[in-house]
Amino acid sequence: MIFSYNWLQSFFKKKLPEPKRLAELLTMHSFEVAEVKKIGKDYILDIDVLPNRGPDCFSHLGIAREISAITGLICEIPTSTIKEDKNLKAKDFVSVEIKNKEACPRYTARVVTEVKVGSSPKWIQERLKICGLRPINNIVDILNYVMLETGQPLHAFDGEKLEEKKIIVRFAREREKIVTLDEEKYDLNESILVIADAKKPVAIAGIEGGKIPEIDKNTKIVVLESANFNPRVIRRGSRKLDLKTDASWRFEHGIDPNLTEFAINRAAFLIQKIAKGKILKGLIDFYPKKVFSKRIKLDLDYVERLLGIKISLKEIKNILKKLSFKCSENENSSRSVVEVPTFRLDISIPEDLIEEIGRIYGYQKIKAAFPIAALIPPKRNFEIFWEDMAKNILKEVGFTEVYNYSFISEEDRKIFGDPEGKLSVSYGASKNLIEVENPISVEQKYLRPSLIPNLLKNIQKNQRYFSDIKIFELGKTFKKSKIKNQKIEEKKMLTGLLIGNAFYQAKGILDTLLNKLGISNIWYDEYQPTPEESEISIWHPKKCAEIKVNHEEIGFLGEISPKILDEMRIENKVVIFDIDFEKLQKLSSEETIYQPISRYPAAVRDIAFLVPREVKVVEVLNKINAVGGPLVRDVDLFDIYEGEEIPEGKKNLAFHIIYQAEDRTLSSEEIDEVQEKIIKALEEDPEWQVRK
Amino acid sequence: MKKIDLKIIKNRAQKEIEKTSDLKELNDIFKKYLGKRGELTQILRSLEKLPKQKRIKIGKEANQVKNLLRIKFDQKALELKEKVKRQAEEKEWIDITAPGKKPIIGHLHPLTLVKRKVEEIFQGMGFTVVEGPEIETGWYNFDALNIPKEHPARDIWDTFYLKNNLLLRTHTTPVDVRYMEKNNPPLRIITVGRVFRHEATDASHEVNFYQLDGLMVGKDISVANFKAIIQEFFQRFFEKPIEIRMRPSYFPFTEPSFEVDMTCLNCNGKGCSACQRTGWMEMLGAGMVHPNVFKNSGLNPKNWQGWAFGMGMDRLAMMNYKINDIRLFYSGDLRFLNQF
Repeated sequence: MIFSYNWLQSFFKKKLPEPKRLAELLTMHSFEVAEVKKIGKDYILDIDVLPNRGPDCFSHLGIAREISAITGLICEIPTSTIKEDKNLKAKDFVSVEIKNKEACPRYTARVVTEVKVGSSPKWIQERLKICGLRPINNIVDILNYVMLETGQPLHAFDGEKLEEKKIIVRFAREREKIVTLDEEKYDLNESILVIADAKKPVAIAGIEGGKIPEIDKNTKIVVLESANFNPRVIRRGSRKLDLKTDASWRFEHGIDPNLTEFAINRAAFLIQKIAKGKILKGLIDFYPKKVFSKRIKLDLDYVERLLGIKISLKEIKNILKKLSFKCSENENSSRSVVEVPTFRLDISIPEDLIEEIGRIYGYQKIKAAFPIAALIPPKRNFEIFWEDMAKNILKEVGFTEVYNYSFISEEDRKIFGDPEGKLSVSYGASKNLIEVENPISVEQKYLRPSLIPNLLKNIQKNQRYFSDIKIFELGKTFKKSKIKNQKIEEKKMLTGLLIGNAFYQAKGILDTLLNKLGISNIWYDEYQPTPEESEISIWHPKKCAEIKVNHEEIGFLGEISPKILDEMRIENKVVIFDIDFEKLQKLSSEETIYQPISRYPAAVRDIAFLVPREVKVVEVLNKINAVGGPLVRDVDLFDIYEGEEIPEGKKNLAFHIIYQAEDRTLSSEEIDEVQEKIIKALEEDPEWQVRK
Repeated sequence: MKKIDLKIIKNRAQKEIEKTSDLKELNDIFKKYLGKRGELTQILRSLEKLPKQKRIKIGKEANQVKNLLRIKFDQKALELKEKVKRQAEEKEWIDITAPGKKPIIGHLHPLTLVKRKVEEIFQGMGFTVVEGPEIETGWYNFDALNIPKEHPARDIWDTFYLKNNLLLRTHTTPVDVRYMEKNNPPLRIITVGRVFRHEATDASHEVNFYQLDGLMVGKDISVANFKAIIQEFFQRFFEKPIEIRMRPSYFPFTEPSFEVDMTCLNCNGKGCSACQRTGWMEMLGAGMVHPNVFKNSGLNPKNWQGWAFGMGMDRLAMMNYKINDIRLFYSGDLRFLNQF
């Protein structure tokens, strides 16, 4: 909010600190001052009043009180002695009826007659302009002036334009309408509080006045309103109508109901002074439930314990007094009862008082002191430990980590989903997706059900600059839950991606990753989708495997289907491993047991043979291991080849077989014997042909 | 066979050995004198035919010559071999200014690196690192933190709502409540996690980013303690002396609440354009945990007190690496990521 330095100065006899210095003091003790700017002979201070301090500080008087508390200078609140007419009574000119006292806890009104509507004096106009308000006429300007001064929004009606001289505060009826002072038409409804006369709404309560009873140059009878409205009601109405005003902004933050009287008298006083007129006898005041000061017990030891600094009782009392709090007078007690002024809506517990003491005393005076606490070692967070470990391993094998958005777009849903949204295997199936209620753009329509779509987008963007890409992400994915009583499934996934003909490379990396995480019993199971599933699967139907550890599936490894790549305009083949990190983490183990190194040499024999294309390496390996027995320590596939020089429908497999015994050096004859047995076993199948 | 012959052979051979500069030639010379049919070999062989006395005398001399020549040959051979090696080394010259071959290495995301550093510093001060869900309920994100429905403060956190009455957490503070529900004080925790804000993106705003949240609760944990811990954190993080200052602020879940500034890293507090000439940079919000938050977490506020803070980790990373656009973190651009 914009404040005028000169206006603030007007409440003090003594000179205020220079504008810059004042801004600094306010920043350190009350609110951040965003800007200080010289305008003519005045300065404006743009003060970010904290939202809980709106009730008392959206006003020059409020800020003046803060300045007084910080600087110790005495702030003088202007007095308004009004002269009421002896004969004419206000209540003969207007009657006030409040239908809902929850919505309108207080309504005060005054009537001023025989006013001369004209332009307001220069000093008022200048102050309004510096604070960003446009002068209109003396009545309206005075009301705005008093609002900026006290924080109480006020309104004025032309008394002669109110049907049956009535003011009724009630909720609007369905299909009621109003045209506001700004000549905007609003459709009202039952959630909007209005000020009505006998027939129709004449103002949207606490938000904006209506056009009909507007003050104009012919107005003679002014009905002044100074009311207090329920912040929630005003907030709701302002949102419904999408209409925010200086008044609604203040009411939304709450205002002290005791302020209405001071403000209306201040306004009447100024109107009488400036626009002449008679103030009619009597303050119309609907105030069924008067608000009194709260009392809070303050334990002085607690002040010290919470702030971590000792502030003397005298100083504490002095600070509170400067802020208009009253302290009980028992000097020696360690407790004090503090009476809170009603304009401090933000204060209700001892901690609130401690904040007042701390900030006025100055947080900068509190010296840093390390806590004295028991030496409780922090617990190790295993999830984070394994996360760090997995990331390090992938980094070591050449992967770059990316962070993507947690959202996917409508377009992604179409690419990754099935049109009917029926199949659960589909990432984009709408029945799995969690939709954002209020996305900012179509890019954030859904929460990501998988890390894959955004990782593929990374490829799309990077393929222009890099020919070899290896990236991974570890992050949360979101799906609707299939588990009863659980709405969502939030899952941590680890997904890596390589480009090129890299299935085996990816598989090798995956084995390395899992081994390094202490997981050994890994195998890859053929993924067999149903025909409809393969229609919409993102995986290449023939190049995809389920990753299993023991008997549990922990993720997928495979090439992305050419159809998806096409749609995403990705030029290269893409291989992805997509792992459920929570499962992975549970399987991980730090345990490593040293295997004694054999003291006897190992011997290597190579073997190569032709087999039909569809024969799986694992079958061959099983056979070699079964026949070879304990002397075969390792079998290592070093080549798979099909194509030129190899008969149609066949492939060449070549292995190193490593022979080693624990207890002796193997003789060449011994090794040859086993090797022969292996060859024989392999050749049992007539289609298998060992190349000698 | 005269004595003179031996001398001549010896001198001649010595000269030839000296003269040659080639290993192969040296070998030929060796053969010429000491080979199977070498001159000296032949002399030695012909000794048999001489009378014993002469044989002994000449034989002795001939052997002396032979040994001498052998030594000479060996010396020369060594010398020449050295020379050959030297020449080979000369030929093997490489251009050391040509670029080295780099291994292909991976890169961790800068936010991961910063997260690790933050966690390490706090763990060193006895804080346990905890995590919580990214999808939250209104209760944990707002109500439990003393922000009731229709409270204007709820507007401060622009929130993504989901079509199932849940929301994306707007801060990591809900994790504090979840932790306090299950763990009794005294406690010290930090949380680093992804949070979401429903706002337009620009160089300093993103729809998702990372927040670092800290909580310390005990019997007498004070504002002064907070000041010490947070100052220590910044000094360790930025590895230089740093002052901090606290200004009044407002958060529904802390009372008192403060905004925390630290010495501007750019000008060390002298005032520059980066800090709008104030010498300070706004870093985080903090405060003493509001009694209602303790109550909502199942703790008795009469027994416990403590502080909490929340700060943007992306901003820490941006300051650390002098990154000027938050969106780079989520761009997946390898030209950016490969720099870390």
